[in-house]
Amino acid sequence: MLDPVLWSLLAFLLIMIALCLARAAVGPTVADRMVAINVIGTKALVLIAGLSVAARQPFFVDVALVYGLIGFLATIGVATYLERGGPST
Amino acid sequence: MHLVFSALLVVLLVSCGLAVERTRDLLGAVVIFASYSLLMAINWQMLGAPDVAITEAAVGAGVTTLLLIGAVSRTRRREE
Repeated sequence: MLDPVLWSLLAFLLIMIALCLARAAVGPTVADRMVAINVIGTKALVLIAGLSVAARQPFFVDVALVYGLIGFLATIGVATYLERGGPST
Repeated sequence: MHLVFSALLVVLLVSCGLAVERTRDLLGAVVIFASYSLLMAINWQMLGAPDVAITEAAVGAGVTTLLLIGAVSRTRRREE
């Protein structure tokens, strides 16, 4: 009963990731790309946690934990690049 | 439903690789490559290898992105 709902929710999240990816590919300014990678990271975190529920394997949540610890590094890197005065467009 | 999700994931991975190759702005390519390795981590998890997924999420999305951004900021940003 729960499974089709959960899988379609995960597929919907994946489509949302595709839209954010299009913004990261097109986006003219660096700020667009920074926000895009942040949103993709958050969506992937939820996706991994939902996948561990759908697959009924609770130790998959560890992947989401590790990504939650590490995932902000990309945003910090792009923000440091902006602050150091790289061209913003 | 499981198959639909897997097929969508693989299509997204391939289009990520194509977008990295097509993008002229190298910072945009780095950002797309980071999301590629995130999707690859989800794919490893679908294949039943959570330890590889942990390593991919830590190294691919964190450390590699920082190193590539450092390389872009020390060289040119546009590909000729």
